[in-house]
Amino acid sequence: MIRYTLTRLALLLLGLLVASVLIFLTLRVLPGDVAQLIAGVNSTPEQVEALRQRLGLDQPLTAQYLEWISGVFRGDLGNSLLTGSSVADELAQKIRVTVPLGVMALTIAILFSVPLGVLSAMRRSRSTGTVMSVGAQTLAAVPVVWAGMMLVVVFAVWLGWLPAQGFPRTGWADPWAAFRSLLLPALTIGIVEGAMLMRFVRSATLQAVGQDYVRTAAAKGLTRDTALIRHGLPVVGLSVITVLGLQIAGIIVGAVVIEQLFALPGIGRMLVQDVSRRDLPKVQGELLVLTGFVLIVGFVVDLVHRLLDPRQREAS
Amino acid sequence: MLRRTALAAASLLAAGALLLTACTGSATPSPSATSEPDPDASAVIRLVLEPSNLDIRQTAGAALDQILVDNVYQGLVARTPDQEIVPSLASDWTISDDGLTYTFTLQEGVTFHDGQELTPEDVVWSLETRKDTAEWSDSARLANVESITADGQEITLTLTEPDSSLLWNLTGRAGLILKQDDTVDYQTAANGTGPFVLTDWVQGDSITFARNEDYWGEKAQVAEVVFDYIPTDQAAVNAALAGEVDVLTGFDANLKDQVEANGDFTVELGKSTDKGTLAFNQASGPLADKRVRQAIRQAIDHDAIVEALASGQTQYGPIPELDPGYEDLSDVAPFDPEAAKTLLADAGVEDLTLTLTIPNFYSTTIPQILVSNLADVGITLEVDSVDFSTWLENVYTKKDYDLSFVLHTEARDFENWANPDYYFTYDNPEVQDLYAQSLAATDPDEAAELLKQAARIVSEDAGADWLYNGASVVAVGTGISGIPTTNVNERLNLAELTKSDG
Repeated sequence: MIRYTLTRLALLLLGLLVASVLIFLTLRVLPGDVAQLIAGVNSTPEQVEALRQRLGLDQPLTAQYLEWISGVFRGDLGNSLLTGSSVADELAQKIRVTVPLGVMALTIAILFSVPLGVLSAMRRSRSTGTVMSVGAQTLAAVPVVWAGMMLVVVFAVWLGWLPAQGFPRTGWADPWAAFRSLLLPALTIGIVEGAMLMRFVRSATLQAVGQDYVRTAAAKGLTRDTALIRHGLPVVGLSVITVLGLQIAGIIVGAVVIEQLFALPGIGRMLVQDVSRRDLPKVQGELLVLTGFVLIVGFVVDLVHRLLDPRQREAS
Repeated sequence: MLRRTALAAASLLAAGALLLTACTGSATPSPSATSEPDPDASAVIRLVLEPSNLDIRQTAGAALDQILVDNVYQGLVARTPDQEIVPSLASDWTISDDGLTYTFTLQEGVTFHDGQELTPEDVVWSLETRKDTAEWSDSARLANVESITADGQEITLTLTEPDSSLLWNLTGRAGLILKQDDTVDYQTAANGTGPFVLTDWVQGDSITFARNEDYWGEKAQVAEVVFDYIPTDQAAVNAALAGEVDVLTGFDANLKDQVEANGDFTVELGKSTDKGTLAFNQASGPLADKRVRQAIRQAIDHDAIVEALASGQTQYGPIPELDPGYEDLSDVAPFDPEAAKTLLADAGVEDLTLTLTIPNFYSTTIPQILVSNLADVGITLEVDSVDFSTWLENVYTKKDYDLSFVLHTEARDFENWANPDYYFTYDNPEVQDLYAQSLAATDPDEAAELLKQAARIVSEDAGADWLYNGASVVAVGTGISGIPTTNVNERLNLAELTKSDG
């Protein structure tokens, strides 16, 4: 297990390094630069060139990369070209919106998808099961933007229960207000992601129903449902954990769209803005942290999976 | 692919919009605002474009001028929304008959937000530094100023040659008065003399101003103004309907009915100097032929564009109605697809395919109309929707484009037609000469007349097409008054804004 963990950890670090090179290079392919954006459409080429020099954009690519990555190893993600503020500080600021949003969305997704998924599998031959299954298919196909807008129309505009957009300027100083402003966006992502998860839980459960050990348990006198719950669900749980890892990446992607729609000052919205402004050091830092996060989630999921699943441990 | 995504998004929005209008039909008549303005009020204003940083000295962009000029930073002179030049930090001024000496009388008792007094030396330093620092925006606008001196409260600008645009330029960035050698971090903070103090900036979210309690003039009538940056129109309309904002600016006028549906908002359409400019790259290729450019102009149904936008008016030359030198030039390029076809045939052009490069934050309405109008006369238009940075590099810097659409919001920016190096690629010595004469004129009417002549030539040359002259679309909440409704994309002076509970 220790050897496995160490190998996995080395792979994780290598992945991050490769990602850093890819992030750096792909951003350099984009046309347009921040100096031109600062100088604007009534500037002279000389003005733009002077700005480029001041910002260090005239340096060779390798020099720029080495400076960036050596900073990262020292724990310094660099500074924004536009505002001069520290990328790490900005990230810390925006994480306060995006992480709670993701956690809430994931919680909502799990809370309704797991029980409903299992239930719809156990009732697969009845109409309730079919209705649930079709419902999940439909919900999973709904674009996040549209779902969000419908929720806003109902809960913010008609009923006036929740804010339609924005985040309290004072942040979490008023936790209730902050929570309320995240509820609709989290519901939006949670419902769409949860519907996808529900379909997965359903099919995993259906598979378990057909397994020998469930049939054996049923033959020994347990009811079919009890046999499934006692012996089938732990296996379902394991595969759900794997999918959850992927789901977290999906939630981050969802956050980019949702933060735009709900005007939330989170990482997703910051990323979109910074890319369009070509504030490359900032985008690099943001992407590296996000990539790192997804890679670490994958790492943890693998470890947990191995710890929980005796079959895998024996295999090694 | 991009177009398909945009179309899909647009149809989704439309679906949502339909639902909204269907379900908020129970409009109550708006109560007349009879209650007293609340001096402790906080007003929330929705804006679209957030500044990338607050450095008014060298970061370009209307998003900065819109909120900071007048409200936080001031110059010797200012301009009203109707483009009239009025006193600001200078109580009055005189211009010598030869147009070479401008004398301003500086107001007494003006303080900066940090409490320090404004001195004549600050004024001299600000203007001199602006003029001498090429990296600062608009520094070239002071090129004709030879010396700036102070004698008591009298500030004197001496010019090398007359400059009819100088006073106007002083109402903008070029004339802003900063504290000499200020240590404020201009990128994230501000220190001006205006009626509002910048108190908070949550990047990616909002900017907050508080009333300047020590303001030298009449104090602001609200305690706080919050600029809420909401990028999408639908989110903004939702925010308005949910009562989270008091004023909405810069949205699609087609959403008027939605915003007004529950009676809490009134949409006002004001004039603006926004020019929806379709630039032609005429340096080489088929567009170098004036007949082809003229054909494109006559193939475009400008009235249909204005109708589709539900705001604004047509404009057939480079100068909008609010600016000096305006003239109705609709006779130069009337909508006439048959004439367009004839012009194309004369030019020997067949099966022409052109690319329209357009920044992706503009609505798809414009490209859709252009594609269909040009198809009617046999021109295939391919739309390349790019982000603004890409537009800046490919179109603005490299001039690598056929057709380009951008909304030019700046007032009095005719200079670009007299600059052959500008991305318009328009080069006519006669226009350049007329513009120079206009600048040198000491009589404003004469200056305007010369601009008018130059503008007609640009239009007759089909130097570009002007798809429309935009309107300021502002939705004002019932308790709000004193909000400017003219040219708000460029300036939003909030000195007279009031808010009451009614």
